[in-house]
Amino acid sequence: MRISRRKKSAVLAGAAAFALIATGCSSGGGGGDSADDGTTLTVTTFNAMGFEDLYTEYEEANPGITIEANNIDTGGNARTDAFTKIAAGSGLADVTAIEEGWLGSIMEVSDQFVDLTEYGIEDRAGDWVDWKYEQATDPDGRVIGYGTDIGPEGMCFNGPALEAAGIPSDREGFAAYLGGADATWEKFFDVGREYQEATGKAWYDQSGFVWNAMVNQLDEGYYTADGELNVEGNAELEERWTWLTDAAADGLSAAEAEWDWNTGKSFTDQTFATFVCPGWMLANLKGSLEAGGGDASTGWDFADVFPGGPANWGGAFLAVPETSEHPEEAAALASWLTEPEQQVKAFEAAGTFPSTIAAQEELASAGATDPILNDAPTGAILAERAIGVTAQFKGPDDSLIQENVFGPPLDKIDRGEATADEAWQEALTLLDELVG
Amino acid sequence: MTSTISRPPTTGDSPASPRASETLTFRQRVSRFDVRASPYLYIAPFFVLFAITGLFPLVYTFVVSLHDWELLAGQGDFVGIANFQEVLGDRFFWNSIRNTLSIFLLSTVPQLAFALILAAILDQALKAKTFWRMSILLPYVVTPVAVALIFSSMFNETSGLFNNLLGAVGIDPVQWKHDVLASHVAIATMVNWRWTGYNALILLAAMQAVPRDLHESAAIDGAGAVRRFFSITVPSIRPTLVFVVITMTMGGLQIFAEPRLFDVSNAGGIGGSDRQFQTTVLYLWEMAFFRQDFGKASAIAWLLFLLIVGIGLINFMISKRIATAENRHIKASTAKKLSGRRS
Repeated sequence: MRISRRKKSAVLAGAAAFALIATGCSSGGGGGDSADDGTTLTVTTFNAMGFEDLYTEYEEANPGITIEANNIDTGGNARTDAFTKIAAGSGLADVTAIEEGWLGSIMEVSDQFVDLTEYGIEDRAGDWVDWKYEQATDPDGRVIGYGTDIGPEGMCFNGPALEAAGIPSDREGFAAYLGGADATWEKFFDVGREYQEATGKAWYDQSGFVWNAMVNQLDEGYYTADGELNVEGNAELEERWTWLTDAAADGLSAAEAEWDWNTGKSFTDQTFATFVCPGWMLANLKGSLEAGGGDASTGWDFADVFPGGPANWGGAFLAVPETSEHPEEAAALASWLTEPEQQVKAFEAAGTFPSTIAAQEELASAGATDPILNDAPTGAILAERAIGVTAQFKGPDDSLIQENVFGPPLDKIDRGEATADEAWQEALTLLDELVG
Repeated sequence: MTSTISRPPTTGDSPASPRASETLTFRQRVSRFDVRASPYLYIAPFFVLFAITGLFPLVYTFVVSLHDWELLAGQGDFVGIANFQEVLGDRFFWNSIRNTLSIFLLSTVPQLAFALILAAILDQALKAKTFWRMSILLPYVVTPVAVALIFSSMFNETSGLFNNLLGAVGIDPVQWKHDVLASHVAIATMVNWRWTGYNALILLAAMQAVPRDLHESAAIDGAGAVRRFFSITVPSIRPTLVFVVITMTMGGLQIFAEPRLFDVSNAGGIGGSDRQFQTTVLYLWEMAFFRQDFGKASAIAWLLFLLIVGIGLINFMISKRIATAENRHIKASTAKKLSGRRS
């Protein structure tokens, strides 16, 4: 029977519409089967995790596995995405990246994620630094995430900017100038004042990241280890608040828009001279530098020093949701992605510092250098910076407190719209209103 | 059987068919049912769809608003109207209402004025009419997200296009993302850019239905273009104007994408570091997905719904008054014409 052209296209349109509905439904369920008994695994990551080439490698080594990857621009947006899908009860990718900052919220509903001890994560427990593995373990002893990277923090700085102010501008010299292993925040800000007096320019980009680093390196941050809120009357936080607000009042903060930095231009014109850099931030710095039209000659560098001692900011885990249709394959992929060998490759691609001991050792000894960052041996430096880092308990509202309780008052401090006391009181008010 | 075949059976004399209706054939009965029920069936899809996508969420949201309800943990205890009380006592809620109304006014008034002017220009005898008409619709085709991203770059405080232009004429840079009024103007600009052309086309369609002879006779009587616009065009398209205002109200009170993306990273994108441009829908989003309190978020959703219904009712009453006033006006003028003819 002949079908007229018109009818044919109608049939095609109908089929296409049906296919759309069918695929729409199956992807909602977390990855449908493709033809030939193959398995499609969906992966959702955020920021720059350096997995792109690894997916191809895994697909080649495992015929029948197809990886559909989706990367979300920032950890904050990934949080919204993950929370929405958990609340909806479907839609999470087979392998979902979880950020340390909102792991506390996820732990409240850890039963939504597969217990990876069923897939042999215990055999690999010794791979990771202790605290990374412990962070992913819930109170019932279930382990819900394979650790990817950690965020040991070093200090990024702009060499030519320091030179103009007569401050040592080489990596070792700058690190020693800040006090080396005994570097403190007071010293860091004092050097900043020296710089500011010499050049009239700001010392660091904005106070939010510095505050975050200060809080993260304490034994207990916004919460005590028992999970109690720990902000009001916390002498350690108040002391650091004074340091930071004094520094901002002296003009050390450039009051930049975080994650934007005037679309990267501020990295190229010496708007500020230093920048707190967890491993994964190096990719952000280089990306912003490029977006702003800068390159290696702009003079950014990475020093093996951090005020106040070892600090960790961020890092991620790969989890498998209970809604996944292929938990076994998903767990296998997540496990493979976090093996030392792959972590080294991810570091080379995106600067995410590995959480496994073998990978850290390899980076420490390999001494690979980063041409954009004045040939700094970033791997070796981060390995040094990771020594002594411990896990801090992250409560359910940790990222909310960081961004929405302390973010607005710090913004006012940077812009000179509030005094230190007013801003601290505002933070307490916001804490009461938002977290209660 | 005593009755003849040719006679129509009556109720009395045929025990086999005690009532007339049962003597109808199956086809006839189907046909009768068809006539009675079909209209309802034809309109049913809308109401079924509305029940699923409109009514059910509305009712369910109300149920959620009466509970402690966490985004991740789900349903908690029944708390009655506590969520509503807390939201009504929340300074951020009132802040969001203020922002919404301010942005609404800043976007509706200029938008209506520009749409009217554009429509009046397009109503003239122009060459390449379709080209001009399609051109003003172009912004509407661009997704709000793209509009928001482009404009937030242009409103960048340090070296955005607008501040650079202001700097060129010696004006200090405006804090578009920190100053309350400036941020509202910026967001209203995005909304206006997107919707003015769309509304202009609707108004243009109405203008084209205005009888040309009215214009011609007014012109002969010596009325200028401006006079004709205000005395003939605007009164004639009043119903369409009311329609445009009502759709603007509904859209304007639900602005989300523009403020959400205006300053994406500051304080997590909840509408400025100090909630300078947090609209009510954005506050709802913050409550649901940032603070994870679905109960309160649902209460906000309901309060916003009531607000929109309230303003919608005010609009309805105004439009009704205008419509009746117009009828009276038309009646009066017809009467005048008729009496004029009689004399």
